[in-house]
Amino acid sequence: MYAQVFSAAKEVDQAFLIILGFSVFIMVFVTGLMLWFLYRYHHKRHPVAADIEGNIWAEILWTVIPTIIVMGLFWTGWSSFKAMRTIPEGAMVVQAEGRMWSWKFTYETGKTSEILVVPVDTPVKLELSAKDVIHSFYVPAMRLKWDMVPGMDTDAWFESDAPGEFDIFCAEYCGLKHSNMVTTLRVVSPEEFQAWLQEGAQVSAAPMLTGPELLDRYGCLDCHTLDGSEGVGPGLGKIGGKEVSLVLPDGTRTRLARDEAYLRRAILDPSAELVKDWEDLMFSYDGEIPEEDLEGIVSFLMTGQVTAEAAPAMLLGQKIADEEGCLACHTTDGTDDVGPSFKGLAGSMRRVDAAAGGTQELLADILYLTESIVNPSALISEGFDDGMPSFENLTPDRLKLLVEWLASMRKDADE
Amino acid sequence: MTVAPADKGFFAPTGKGFLRSWLFTHDHKRIGMLYLWCILSFFGVGVVLGLLARLEMLTPGATIMGPQTYNAIFTLHGVTMVFLVVIPSIPAAFGNIFLPLQLGAEDVAFPRLNMFSWWLYIIGAAIALTSLFTGGGAPDTGWTFYVPFSAVTTTNVSVAVLGVFILGFSSILTGLNFIVTIHRLRAPGLTWTRLPLFAWGLYATAWIQVLATPILGITALLIVVERVMGMGIFDPAKGGDPILYQHLFWIYSHPAVYIMIVPAMGVISDIIPVFARKNIFGYKTIVGSSLAIAFAGSLVWAHHMFVSGMSDTAVMIFSFLTFVVAVPSAVKVFNWTSTLYKGAIRPEPPLIFALGFIFLFSMGGITGLVLGSAGTDMHVHDTYFVVGHFHYVIFGGTGFGMFAAMHYWFPKITGRMYNKTIATTSAIILIIGMNGLYFPMYLLGLQGMPRRYYDYLPQFTNLQVASTVGSWVTLIGLVLMFSNLARGWKHGQKVGDNPWEAATLEWTLPSPPPTNNFDQEPVVTHGPYDFKHLSPGGTDQ
Repeated sequence: MYAQVFSAAKEVDQAFLIILGFSVFIMVFVTGLMLWFLYRYHHKRHPVAADIEGNIWAEILWTVIPTIIVMGLFWTGWSSFKAMRTIPEGAMVVQAEGRMWSWKFTYETGKTSEILVVPVDTPVKLELSAKDVIHSFYVPAMRLKWDMVPGMDTDAWFESDAPGEFDIFCAEYCGLKHSNMVTTLRVVSPEEFQAWLQEGAQVSAAPMLTGPELLDRYGCLDCHTLDGSEGVGPGLGKIGGKEVSLVLPDGTRTRLARDEAYLRRAILDPSAELVKDWEDLMFSYDGEIPEEDLEGIVSFLMTGQVTAEAAPAMLLGQKIADEEGCLACHTTDGTDDVGPSFKGLAGSMRRVDAAAGGTQELLADILYLTESIVNPSALISEGFDDGMPSFENLTPDRLKLLVEWLASMRKDADE
Repeated sequence: MTVAPADKGFFAPTGKGFLRSWLFTHDHKRIGMLYLWCILSFFGVGVVLGLLARLEMLTPGATIMGPQTYNAIFTLHGVTMVFLVVIPSIPAAFGNIFLPLQLGAEDVAFPRLNMFSWWLYIIGAAIALTSLFTGGGAPDTGWTFYVPFSAVTTTNVSVAVLGVFILGFSSILTGLNFIVTIHRLRAPGLTWTRLPLFAWGLYATAWIQVLATPILGITALLIVVERVMGMGIFDPAKGGDPILYQHLFWIYSHPAVYIMIVPAMGVISDIIPVFARKNIFGYKTIVGSSLAIAFAGSLVWAHHMFVSGMSDTAVMIFSFLTFVVAVPSAVKVFNWTSTLYKGAIRPEPPLIFALGFIFLFSMGGITGLVLGSAGTDMHVHDTYFVVGHFHYVIFGGTGFGMFAAMHYWFPKITGRMYNKTIATTSAIILIIGMNGLYFPMYLLGLQGMPRRYYDYLPQFTNLQVASTVGSWVTLIGLVLMFSNLARGWKHGQKVGDNPWEAATLEWTLPSPPPTNNFDQEPVVTHGPYDFKHLSPGGTDQ
């Protein structure tokens, strides 16, 4: 257990010490006694068992004494809990909201943030709420955990003695990306905190964030992607003007081109028109996004300016290779690992088992590379095991980016 | 002895055809064996799922599977182990086989109801397993099915919950059957104070099964109603209350852990005197503590909810009651240890498993104090600490109780003996393996690693690796133990009716016991652990 920096948590740690100390003592005592009896009263050393049916006084003793001890332990634990629950008057209030799968902290000035920044030596009261399912706000360093229950207001508090950065976890299982619901508690000096708070105020007032930055800020990218792949919700890359099939709440279907009005409705009232084949999971952002930010998001989605140039496309391909786990078996430095190295793969001649039997030579061109990702068993190069799984679930966009990246590492022309 | 040990006993063909004579049998011993085979098969499935989840935890990020698969795997591991393995384990398998024998009865009170219970178990299990392969995919909610998540997930929760609903009735009917059997079918002379402690354990358990399980049925039905009809009982968006679900769930599921552990305690109480050659220390105290656990254990459910947002007053009351229930468990441990005092101890495999039970159960039990104490629970709730605690108590406790029972009654069921050296070795490997597997979880929890995390921060890596290596050692122990038992069943040396020289009624019968149990109704003249009446061969004088 690492050091805590919260005065009420010191009481908790004391309770830990007392209870664990008692536990270790009992454990050592019982186990030691058991082993000693096993040795001392082995039938070879002690062939005739004594005739003992019990001893009422001994039993009373080991009922009463543990009862007194556990009552003491109960009280220790309870009083430390009370300290953790007694929120001081005048504590700084921060609203903390959990949602699948990100955090939003709102300050009294209206500033919002994905990380929790607080001044040192200041009691902080957290007003906890949840947007969709139950989450739990957990800061191990403060020994603090409290559930965020949708439709219910809960609260918690802490006060950090020292500046630093601490982990915040979601401790109540909340679905697919539960373990990604991790953020940071940053404890800073009061001056730094004031500066940070001001800087936030400016952001919401003046300088424009780019479209992707806005999407990130409002947690859109926790569920939607920009690279054409499917997340928990439909992809958001290059969707402006494209036609889409929608399902209305009464079950009827409709098709329309994604215009600005539609995109606004999809953000502010997502349940009213669902994209076909997607679940009704997204919550409404009505009242969550200031008008200018909404405008920024919609105009970005309509025009989609951040499409990749050549170089970023290459980077994207590498990122995909990393995400899909390709690099666990394939290197990029020319040495063969479990599978052939990506360097110099494109454009080389590959000797593979032919379907009819025997082997045949094939040129590793775009078609070959694509096919060997989607259906690898058919194109296993000589000397390698047929161990690669099929990646046919890659979306066409991602597959294309991946293949382009592989092609960029082609064998030199003279070879 | 009227029948030679070589006789097939209740395994002998009945002339009705193999399948019919088993699947529609009314014989409590055959029904017990059916449960045993099913439970061990599901245990195998649960172990594989657990090992896969552990393997995934070997490294941060993806190791062998994606997050959806991992979430489904830990859910299925929990559902399979809790509902299909641990809850029925000792009562349904060994309780069915040995309760009537220990009572000197022909069968349980309601043999046909007993058969029906097994069928409900199989149907419930089949429906629960169907949920894996149909609908929107395997459930990914964790075995606790917390709303609102379980109400919104697109996976196949409704079907799985329906399976759990049916399994609950199997448990209720078995409990009912045992209560009536113990009250009405005891042999002449078998007074309540001469009842073997295993039977007492089953009796206390049966009352929890009858009284608590209906709440599970209600809860399961409400989830289905919520999902299918959108009733809004738990869904806050419709004005429902998610905390209500947690209360309903734990009102059953906390007593359920006593359904899991009390029969195991009964097994241990039966085994220790036999191998210490000495009466149990404080028979009445052990009986009293079983009943006290059954009663007080029904009043502590909300200690799973200290940080759920319920009132602080409720936290205080439930924390207090939780500490109260620790006392009878501690008393049991002291009484078992005292039974060894001045015994003539024979360290045979069943005793080694029983002592393993005491050690591992205590390791789990004392960390329960940390979880029951409100302030410390706030830190370790829903972390690996809880996972470690639960597995020490259930795998180390109920699991070892089950293994002890298997090794203790093996010669009675099969008429043969397994290799004792290998059995003892496997017990020691399992004790080491389980500590390797679960002790690092305590440390992870204290460091703040939340449970049910597919991915984790790098500072947790070393302990995760240690735990995964522990799971491999545990696997070696399990394979060794089961292969030894399988070999013993086929090739083991034939032994007499009472190889352990025990004094309870099942050991007066041939091994395996004949279909009709006792030719003549036995008359009991002494207590269950009174070895003075036995001649050296183990027969009654």
